[in-house]
Amino acid sequence: MKESSNVPEDVKQRINWLLIFIIICFSFLVINLWYLQIIKGGEFKERAVENCIRSLVEDAPRGHIYDRQGEILVTNRPAVVISIIPAEVDNLEELSKRLGKIIGLSEDVIVQKVKKHTDNPFKPVQILDDCKKDIVIEIEEKKEELKGVILEVKPRRNYLYQELAAHCLGYVGEIDKEELQKLGNPKFQGGDIIGKAGLEKYYDDILRGEKGGKEVEVDALGREIATLLFQKPVPGKDLVLTIDKDLQIYGENLLYGKKGSIILSNPYTGEILALVNRPSFNPNLFAGGISYSDWERLSSDPEYPLTNRSIQSAYPPGSAFKIVTAIAALEEGITDRKRKVYCSGTFKLADQIFTCWKESGHGSLSIIDAIAHSCNIYFYTMGKELGIERFSKYMHKFGLEEKVGIDLPAEVLGIIPSTEWKQREFKQIWFPGDDINLSIGQGYLLLTPLQIHSIICAVTTEGEIYRLHLVKEIISPEGNVVKRIKPEISRKVSISANTFQIVKEGLRATILKGTGWRANSKELSIAGKTGTAQNPQGETHAWFAGFAPYENPEVCITVFVENGGEGGEIAAPIARAMLEKYFEVKM
Amino acid sequence: MKEKLGKLTENLDYTLLLAVVFLCFYGILVLYSSTRISSSSIPADPFLYVKRQSLWIVWGFIFLIIIIFIDYHKLERYSQLIYFVAIILLVMVIISGRSTYGARRWLSIGPFDFQPSEFAKIALIIFLADFLSKNKLKLDNFFYFLLPFAYTGILIFLVFKQPDLGTSLVYLVILIMMLFVVGAKIKYLMTVFLIALSSVPVLWFCLKEYQKRRLILFLNPNLDPLGGGYNIIQSKIAIGSGSFLGKGLFNGLQSQLNFLPAQHTDFIFSVVGEELGFVGAILLLGLYVIVLWRGIKIALEARDLLGTLLATGAVSFLFFHIVVNIGMAMGILPATGLPLPFLSYGGSFMISNLVVIGILLNVELHKVRW
Ligand SMILES: [Zn+2]
Repeated sequence: MKESSNVPEDVKQRINWLLIFIIICFSFLVINLWYLQIIKGGEFKERAVENCIRSLVEDAPRGHIYDRQGEILVTNRPAVVISIIPAEVDNLEELSKRLGKIIGLSEDVIVQKVKKHTDNPFKPVQILDDCKKDIVIEIEEKKEELKGVILEVKPRRNYLYQELAAHCLGYVGEIDKEELQKLGNPKFQGGDIIGKAGLEKYYDDILRGEKGGKEVEVDALGREIATLLFQKPVPGKDLVLTIDKDLQIYGENLLYGKKGSIILSNPYTGEILALVNRPSFNPNLFAGGISYSDWERLSSDPEYPLTNRSIQSAYPPGSAFKIVTAIAALEEGITDRKRKVYCSGTFKLADQIFTCWKESGHGSLSIIDAIAHSCNIYFYTMGKELGIERFSKYMHKFGLEEKVGIDLPAEVLGIIPSTEWKQREFKQIWFPGDDINLSIGQGYLLLTPLQIHSIICAVTTEGEIYRLHLVKEIISPEGNVVKRIKPEISRKVSISANTFQIVKEGLRATILKGTGWRANSKELSIAGKTGTAQNPQGETHAWFAGFAPYENPEVCITVFVENGGEGGEIAAPIARAMLEKYFEVKM
Repeated sequence: MKEKLGKLTENLDYTLLLAVVFLCFYGILVLYSSTRISSSSIPADPFLYVKRQSLWIVWGFIFLIIIIFIDYHKLERYSQLIYFVAIILLVMVIISGRSTYGARRWLSIGPFDFQPSEFAKIALIIFLADFLSKNKLKLDNFFYFLLPFAYTGILIFLVFKQPDLGTSLVYLVILIMMLFVVGAKIKYLMTVFLIALSSVPVLWFCLKEYQKRRLILFLNPNLDPLGGGYNIIQSKIAIGSGSFLGKGLFNGLQSQLNFLPAQHTDFIFSVVGEELGFVGAILLLGLYVIVLWRGIKIALEARDLLGTLLATGAVSFLFFHIVVNIGMAMGILPATGLPLPFLSYGGSFMISNLVVIGILLNVELHKVRW
């Protein structure tokens, strides 16, 4: 049954040649294998054991931060970090003793630190941060007896003006567990430095850049033999702020020793020229990981130096809020330019008696005079006639139940009372007395300084609130403008021009003949409203919200001094000084 | 049917089959060693890769058994159809394929991630075997000789687009070896070779950046500015440090610490070299030699030229993959990204390996008329 093959002889010949070729190739492989494993085997074995591959992360320098004039505010400086690579240590106790002697740490502390990181023995464990030059030199000299110890140079955040604008700039720190979980691997790893507060946090993606790294082959003594992988770090992008450094310094000096904030901005662009918060802190303390004692001191300080008061705390606005009451009353036709109300110093509602701040009374007043002299009785009358429902409509128009919006993290909401709100919070109906309190910015109402600022911006522009922002431009490391932040209207407040006109006249009269006379400047026509807010914490809060020049507004200002006293006495002069400085700097 | 089954068990090449089964087991063992520790910090199933690979081996054997039952003479009827299906699939990859590592090589069909370039290897072997066995005498005409280059060239062009330099070379080698065996004039083969050599500078410009880098790094891995040579150095250290007996399975320092990228796919031979040493590597090479020797024997004893050429194609395919992959791991050949038959992790490749074995067994089985 078997048939002989039909395959031609020449083909068989060729197949034999193919077989020979295959045999040659395989012999070649075997010879090479012999060479690699048997002849060179010992050498490679040594290389595999003695030579370790070190992965070194190279942090990207964070972007710089400049003020609007291009003056540098935040930069980086090199810091030397001492680390230990556990996998390369023969005797940890011995090494810790030697290293500890040089850097002034006890043996136990070092051993503990190394033993805490057991996940990857090839990953350097940081022992001492930002060490001094003489220590670096000593370690370099004794390298031979410090096998496993490495020195790494890392960029460290440097805030050149210490406390200046600290709440705006924020600070950086090592990523914590929750952030790591939220932001995720592999983009972030433990030990990464990220923005923790302020602009550093808000613009972290832009400032951070991309870290690089290299894998180097090192010999038994830790000398680098070859670089196997190298990824250059990509530096972060720079920020140019809308803040003017000189104005900021001036403002911080004005509030020195006080608690409070100053917001100065261009109402037609939303650019913030100065954002002062007092008391302040030094963000450099955070740059290399804040010490426990520093953190204790800052976080338990009763003055709350870490709080950005302009956006993170809400306060009763007091009479500064009468701007909104006036607008509501004018718009609803309850009052007009001509209507006069008589102030006898007291106001009766059922069996309750409310008083004006001037006990003897203001006599007969128009709305403009009432704003100028901040007469409570006039505004009580408005509040009573308006009622909470109509009042709420205007608070809503100004967007007060929402955040204003600014390029900083953690802005808080104020409290905007309404019938529903009171029902929800207190299980109580809205009493007519609540209208009276609200009309002068007291009672339940709480606003952040930024919210008051957005109100004065809307009045200044007659209805347009531009998005408030601190960053003007984003610049690439090569110096090209990557993004220019354009002015953007974030809210339109539909109020008639006539109403705005009357209110503005009132604000100007406040400076010329009313409670804001201390803000009157010879060179500059300022308009604004003072506020003195009672609060359960003690001394009244002093407020001033205004703009200048009256005829042709360029800037808006809000001054808030916590427990500072009277608005006219404390806040108004600060506002005047700040505004005069603005026009002086501008010249 | 019963008679057929009897013939089958009587004429099956058990040596070949046994060698392949051993290779599969060997592969699973080494794969487990190289993948049981997850490279990321997230704990994963240590048997994940092994489970998948085993599943593919089972699928491969199912295909192998199906192929044994079909007389290879029936294939000639479908050879052109198979060739066109391969072209269509490759075009589909270019249009809609899934991208891995910047190269498009995959096509999702149902639950399988399927690599049409693997299918095309088998399609090419069948198509060329059919074409060359029918046109053996006409090949003395130079233009007839060039015709199979055109057919193969289309496939090469399509995978080159993906881009996959290694696979293009596999197609070319299969063609040249089959042409050589069928009796093409050496003069012609040399002519083509010279033309190809002179067109290298032109081709250089068609290569993707990473392919160029691989070639440069092959010439000097220590140069290594961007990390490509890292694989080669690490692989050499791993194999070399294995010495005579190896460090023992699961004990490879380089492999276990994940210094070797792609250690379960392209660089699996380094794990063999490091953990099982010279002895293990020679054992592996021995198993390959058995497979190729049986393949050559089958080609010689085939009933007709079609069978011989099918076997030649199968042998060429396996041989080229083995030599290039092991040569690459030892740093004597450029890293072209060709996996190692029966060992490298990957479904499509495992299945195509076993299909090719199925073809060999088929040719052996039908060397006598039933
Ligand atoms: Zn009054």
